[in-house]
Amino acid sequence: MQRLRPGPVVAVGTIAFLALLVPLFGLDNPLHMDIAHRLAQPTLAHPLGQDAYGRDVLARLLWGARVSLAVASSSSALACLVGTALGLAGGFLRGPVEFLALRGMDVVLCFPPLLLALLVVTLLGPGAPTLIPLLAVLYLPGFVRVVYAGVLSVRTQDYVEAMRSLGAGRLRIMLGTILPNVGGPVLVQFSIAAASAVVLESGLSFLGLGVVPPAPSWGLMIGEARATMMQAPLLLLWPCLALSVTILALNALCDALRDAVDPHGITRRRRHGGLLDRLAPGLLPAPGAALELAGLTIAIDTPSGPIHPVRDVSLRVMPHETLALVGESGSGKSLTGLATMGLLPPIARVAGGAAWIEGRDVLRLDEAALRRLRGATVAMIFQDPLSSLNPVQRIATQIGEAVQAHARSPAKATWRRAVELLRHVGIPDPERRAHNFPHEMSGGMRQRAMIAMAIANQPRLLIADEPTTALDVTIQAQVLELLAALRRESGMALIFITHSLPVVAEIADRVAVMYAGEIVEQGRVAEVFARPLHPYTAALLASVPREDGSLAEAIPGTVPPPYALPPGCAFAPRCRFARADCSSGTLALTEVMAERLTRCRRWSDLA
Amino acid sequence: MTPLVVAENLSKHFPARRMFGRGRPVQAVSGVSLTVGRGEAVGLVGESGSGKSTIGRLMLGLLEPSAGRVVIDGTDLGATDADSLRRLRRRMQLVFQDPYSSLDPRRTVGAQIADGLAIHRIVPSGERRARVEALLARVGMTPAHADRYPHEFSGGQRQRVGIARALATGPEFLVADEPVSALDVSVQAQVLALLADLRRRLGLAMLFISHDLPVVRSICDRTVVLYLGRIMEEGPAGEVFERPRHPYTKALLSASPTLDPARRRRRILLPGDPPSPADPPSGCVFRTRCPWVAPVCAGAAPPLRELAAGHFVACVRADALGPVPDAPNGSVSQQ
Repeated sequence: MQRLRPGPVVAVGTIAFLALLVPLFGLDNPLHMDIAHRLAQPTLAHPLGQDAYGRDVLARLLWGARVSLAVASSSSALACLVGTALGLAGGFLRGPVEFLALRGMDVVLCFPPLLLALLVVTLLGPGAPTLIPLLAVLYLPGFVRVVYAGVLSVRTQDYVEAMRSLGAGRLRIMLGTILPNVGGPVLVQFSIAAASAVVLESGLSFLGLGVVPPAPSWGLMIGEARATMMQAPLLLLWPCLALSVTILALNALCDALRDAVDPHGITRRRRHGGLLDRLAPGLLPAPGAALELAGLTIAIDTPSGPIHPVRDVSLRVMPHETLALVGESGSGKSLTGLATMGLLPPIARVAGGAAWIEGRDVLRLDEAALRRLRGATVAMIFQDPLSSLNPVQRIATQIGEAVQAHARSPAKATWRRAVELLRHVGIPDPERRAHNFPHEMSGGMRQRAMIAMAIANQPRLLIADEPTTALDVTIQAQVLELLAALRRESGMALIFITHSLPVVAEIADRVAVMYAGEIVEQGRVAEVFARPLHPYTAALLASVPREDGSLAEAIPGTVPPPYALPPGCAFAPRCRFARADCSSGTLALTEVMAERLTRCRRWSDLA
Repeated sequence: MTPLVVAENLSKHFPARRMFGRGRPVQAVSGVSLTVGRGEAVGLVGESGSGKSTIGRLMLGLLEPSAGRVVIDGTDLGATDADSLRRLRRRMQLVFQDPYSSLDPRRTVGAQIADGLAIHRIVPSGERRARVEALLARVGMTPAHADRYPHEFSGGQRQRVGIARALATGPEFLVADEPVSALDVSVQAQVLALLADLRRRLGLAMLFISHDLPVVRSICDRTVVLYLGRIMEEGPAGEVFERPRHPYTKALLSASPTLDPARRRRRILLPGDPPSPADPPSGCVFRTRCPWVAPVCAGAAPPLRELAAGHFVACVRADALGPVPDAPNGSVSQQ
């Protein structure tokens, strides 16, 4: 468990401590009246003054805290306990238990809370013993709903299935596996319930339905102070202040608890050493290049300083050319693609370098200019077409929007153009398919629709980020064929981001291999794959599943995270060829042969 | 010797819920018979919707078949009571595809590996820690890892934890449901090597579910190819890979990208998408996308025939398939 933040604990602890130990403070009897000194100003004996009956306000405030807090905490604890049990059983066991738990709560929700309170108090008489179960019933549906919804989403998780597969009983799964995973929202719900129970108790007491006078309670005190508000306004202030502080402290405590029981907060991060300034953009872009990146570096600011998930990436893509950007997860290949589109997530920023699309420096364009560029000159397709398409719009409408974004045209013509694009990407029966919503299409069809959107304005550069990873092999073959055909006929440049070397071999002319945020090797696909000049490329090629039935060779270890990069060559700790001097200094991507670039001192040993 | 696991004529239909009334049931698995021998690794290959994960769960008794039965070492899973089924679970385990959702994010990995030991009271609680550390060592991790939470590990390490959890009860039969497809290639090779090594050392029988043919070939003895919940082809792994006899297997192999230009076959592009399992075609379910389709294919569903020793194919034309015909079904639709 993570350490609990001390602030909220101290605050709630102090309030509870004051309430519990109030008999030991030697205060006045909160019921002792002293009519002679009614509404007296604060004195040393009565630090907060005296109320309309001359009772000590401080004593009443503290004794009142006992009542208010006891009612609020026991009623919300009761609701929490029963509600969690009902929600857990209903969500996990389903069937009649689910029906009873949920429909029962619906019945409770049908009653307006205040009316229910009035009814119960009228029948059973006012007082704390009535209030506790009453408030518990009122807050029950919230707990049941929160837990039930949580259980429904957790019960389908693989780790629950794993427990079943291990032969665990239902009780063990419910209490040991599901309950801890729905605990966070329950704590939040508890803080809401406890805070609003304090308020409701005060409100009911104010109305004369809660705690019975002359017993002290914050609600009663507010009610009584209201009558003498003009003579002694301070009397109203104290209970209100106590109420607000208590609610704030309770909310803060529950938030802190929720954070503390969540293990995700715990990360063992090491501070990385000072990073070299890599702000050395290249000279001018090569004429005619569809895209040129020069020393692109991306930074993400973290509490322990900036990390650089992409460092010094330089590459060039010419028209008609397909460049594959290949790397494992965390290599920075997708961030590179997003930066080129000016679509970096808010936490990331470009820390250095330049990116030219057809000679224009995209990193220095304003948002309006970028928008004009996107779609028209450069377009992007993503891995998961389902989450990239709008689920509530017909497919042709969405393609139409892409068309409209850059050239206004009448609605009829736009629709016709969308249908034409659908036909162009090989969707059968496009007139009918145009009316489909994304969920009515298969994965391959959705990816075709995404491609149709991307090519709507004949971009000169298409960035495809793992476009076939989510697809089946036979569908992947279709989409690769389609992309190759589109590139052949339009002459656009294609950047194909992928983790699959065989796919690279099928589609790309040139390849840039990325490792831990850097390009480690670049060259023509056939040459790189036949004779890699960087140990990582060689190891990656050896780890591809073999077709002759032998096991592939693994690369030992794991990719270093961007906050714990090793000094020198990032691949050195996993490299078979590493020597002592590999772990120091900086390495540049160097052209060691014609059109062959590598970031390795020992490339000649591999050759 | 009888095989360890025998599945006979398994079918699984899921009822389809519509807003009004019921739709056609989804036929996830239809009439699949399968055996896994002791210490044998059987690969189950198919694309999404082929029913391969459903078969894996049916064979562990985590789902109840609509028809057919699963017998493990003489015990019919459908005929045993819940208690003996839970005791039987000790002997069969599941390794999941997604290394992120398959571990409980709220508990340390050591506690999760110890679950199986506690449920079946395999070792007294005092010795559990030592056993957990031994299991971690077996999958190539260190004892200190036991006190960490899942999110502190990479995908490959999490998959190792998942394997350690499955091994805790000392199973004889392991269902591995796409255990490496969510991993990066270099890590994938690590986990495959681990699985191959464990199988050899512990004599595990394994049902290895995957969509990746080269991966299946490198780790399995036998391969079963599924399409739309039915077995299309079954045989020794090398045999199916080198000499596929079913048109679907041929297409699948030709479609998977390869590094080796010499092996790059003439690609058979299958048109369109697989049909919906709620509404499968009559006769051979593959006929709507098959390049070799003939009128006879629309008739009765083709039975599995043994064409060579241990090599079964469900295609009436398997003996007479020539080179790829020029796309009677239309090849890539945009050409």
